Amino acid sequence: MSGYGGWAGKVLRVDLSTGRSWTEDTIEQYKAYLGGTGIGYKVMWDEVPAGTKPYDPENRIIFAVGPLAGTGAPCNGRTAITTLWPTCWPIPLVASGHMGGQFAAKLKYAGYDAIVIQGKAARPVWLMIVDQKVEIHDARRIWGQGIRGATAAISEIMGPDAVVAAIGQAGENLVPMSVVMNAVSHSAGGIGSVMGSKNLKAIGVRGTGSIRIAGKKEDWEKLIKYHLSLLGGNNQHVVPNSPQPWAEFYDPTTRWNASRGKRWGAAGHLVDTGTCAPRETNRIAYRSNMAAFFLGDNAWKHTVRGSGCTSCPIRCHTMLKVPAVAAKYGIPAVGQNTCVGFLFGRSFFKEFTDGPKGMTALEACMVGMHLADDLGVWCNYGQLQRDFIKLYYSGVIEKKLGTREFKSYSWSKYEKGDPTFLFELLPRIAMKEGELGTVLGLGTGYMLERWGLSETEWGKDKDLAYWKMGHPKHHASEEAGQCGLLINLMYNRDSQCHSHTNFLRNGLPLPLQKKLAAEIWEAPEAVDGLGDYKPMHRSKARMAKWSLLRKELHDSLSLCNWMGPWVASPIRERGYRGDDSIESMLYKLATGDNKDREELDKVGERILLLHRALTIRGMGTKEMRLHHDKIPEWVFTDKSDKPPFTKGATHLDRNDVQVALDMFYEELGWDKATGAPTHGTYRKFGMDSVSAALSKRNLEPPA
Amino acid sequence: MKAPAIMERAGKEDRTGLRDAVAARVSAVIRERSAAAELISEAEILSLLNDEHLMFLDADGTGEDITVILARLVQESEDLQKLSGAGSPCHYSSYYMTEAYAQILLRKREGPLQLIAETVRQNACAYQRPVPLDIFTLPPFNLAYDKVLEYLALMAQTTGYDDIVMTSTSASGIYLYSTSHLETEHALMLAEWLDVGQAVNP
Repeated sequence: MSGYGGWAGKVLRVDLSTGRSWTEDTIEQYKAYLGGTGIGYKVMWDEVPAGTKPYDPENRIIFAVGPLAGTGAPCNGRTAITTLWPTCWPIPLVASGHMGGQFAAKLKYAGYDAIVIQGKAARPVWLMIVDQKVEIHDARRIWGQGIRGATAAISEIMGPDAVVAAIGQAGENLVPMSVVMNAVSHSAGGIGSVMGSKNLKAIGVRGTGSIRIAGKKEDWEKLIKYHLSLLGGNNQHVVPNSPQPWAEFYDPTTRWNASRGKRWGAAGHLVDTGTCAPRETNRIAYRSNMAAFFLGDNAWKHTVRGSGCTSCPIRCHTMLKVPAVAAKYGIPAVGQNTCVGFLFGRSFFKEFTDGPKGMTALEACMVGMHLADDLGVWCNYGQLQRDFIKLYYSGVIEKKLGTREFKSYSWSKYEKGDPTFLFELLPRIAMKEGELGTVLGLGTGYMLERWGLSETEWGKDKDLAYWKMGHPKHHASEEAGQCGLLINLMYNRDSQCHSHTNFLRNGLPLPLQKKLAAEIWEAPEAVDGLGDYKPMHRSKARMAKWSLLRKELHDSLSLCNWMGPWVASPIRERGYRGDDSIESMLYKLATGDNKDREELDKVGERILLLHRALTIRGMGTKEMRLHHDKIPEWVFTDKSDKPPFTKGATHLDRNDVQVALDMFYEELGWDKATGAPTHGTYRKFGMDSVSAALSKRNLEPPA
Repeated sequence: MKAPAIMERAGKEDRTGLRDAVAARVSAVIRERSAAAELISEAEILSLLNDEHLMFLDADGTGEDITVILARLVQESEDLQKLSGAGSPCHYSSYYMTEAYAQILLRKREGPLQLIAETVRQNACAYQRPVPLDIFTLPPFNLAYDKVLEYLALMAQTTGYDDIVMTSTSASGIYLYSTSHLETEHALMLAEWLDVGQAVNP
């Protein structure tokens, strides 16, 4: 083991076909890629040849964390899970899912930076890890159970200190739209069925070790306090959503929704969030209530508390208690989740009798969380629900199903917004029951293909939010102009990048955002007002590149890209500046590896580059600009007849987008004609072997 | 504004001590109010001092003007600030509230129509955004939803508010904007995004 802090030092390897497990040295094998997605991509590159399918035993599934996981660094609870993505259409390619919760820290405390799983068990198994002890256990008694039951059964064996990441029936039944989940509500989508294909029901981890911090204790504590001082509310929104005595600004759309008089109404005792001034760093957890952000006062009334990941003060998962649902639907009165996981049930319905934020909507959320988080069904960032609404109201479902199957659903209940409809639909997706259950579980791309629907047509409907390759947009051009577009082109699933949107939605007035943008991306033109987009500017390409590098860095260090980066802050005295170097400061002090911001960004760039190389190899073409970086038609259309770049229009100009791509590829050192990285760029990042392998297959652009 | 004769014919030394006592009391009361997220007007301060028998006259029968006392405090202190509006000037401590927040409280004193209109204008001008009607139900506005609708109806019949426009989104959310600072198409797009679009992109 090297003298580095931060890392646990070992990567655990498990071959389920042979039942063998062994370890590798993290530093020797993977330091150049940090951890998380970096380790994931490296293993996929080295060990999974092109043409491998997601459910082949040769496919790997890599649960990897970074050197900051399990330390005291804020927001360090992310586990990156990398594999071949079963919902990536038309061919599965590499991608990663990211779960919060307690798994990342426990894995480190057990002594591992990653678990690489290969092969396929002969029968259902679960993996038990207690420090150095690694055992493969028979899982036949828990196979067929939901995530809750499996987690409880394994926890009874391993004890309350263990964390369990389990799949539900959806994963077992090889439903591509399935998750793995730990700590009640923290899931990573798209992965459940890959675990299921290996007959792996769950991984239980208990660790009794600790993480060594290389730097001095007092320096580390000082840095943590500094980082905490820069934190805003959920998604690093640095401005409250209503006027507060301490605030210069407010923005009704931010997720910093605490205020005097806002109460956790279902807590054991009265909890008033108070005004939550930035200096009150012990009250960061009160700043945001995500359930209330989506459902308003009704959610405040039923809030027990916030919940979240190891060492994260934001607590983005809201725990709700709704006693009425126990009697009405026969489900637990308490549930928790955030974002699309929280909205899972509600999003299937077009409307409710008592409005979009009424009690029925809340009940639909509770029913949806109960079912989806137990069956392990994935929503693909809400695309499942948007597809369902489109398919039903356009008559496709009725047309495609036989009369008997169509009538087996209570469509009148559905149209009225009755949450009991979810009991009919979600289990059938998890069990692949009937044509509808099966097709919805495939993911959008394969669903369209099976039913003979056009992906191009899907991409014309702006309200569907469909992007490409079976997946939706994730903060794209409609809210972030060219920068959002470029980011959304890069991945083989939805981009999951928040670096740009967390800045753009932080609540600061545009002139201040522009001032900060000029400091980070060298020109104020990097950011535009919402719905007031301007033609492409080089700084937008820089911002897009920076956003992607920070995403990869976060995913590889185990920092949360939903909450970071922290380049703006709520602190007036700092001119609302955050700190663009916080990641490297944490990394340096934790590991002892003396990399500054620029050097660490280069590691992020290497990781992004390897993802691109994997995609090129997987697709068997270097023509990325033509075949991969495709843009849905809705990006270029707008309900108004106004031309692009007029106020109120959110569509982009076709020629301008081509300019944007040119600039973006240039910034990354990629060939403009093909969108593929050049030999020189691979070489610059010490990736000659990657370059050689691609060149041998004619997958590198000409020099 | 002259103080009533509470302590007549005070000597020179007494005057210095009393002046300090009055200044300390005034500073304290401004800070107390600010800590409670409230402004205090000059008239309210004077009334409070009278109630506490803290104003005095010199031997020649003249007294120190409260305006002068407050001006000196604002000049000499680090945090005490003055805001002037339609009524009696108001004061606050920047230790406890920002000028932006104090301005909202000042507008509140000028009546609900002005409060709504100026808030909508400021949002449109400084932030380029419409505001949801709901914002006026939250502190420090604290207006009832139905009352806001009533005020808006009244504003539609009152001169001086022609630029304030109400629109509703596809999810029935009501938003307000000022045509003086925001183009209609832009405002409509923003309202739809804020109420509906961003929920699809959470």
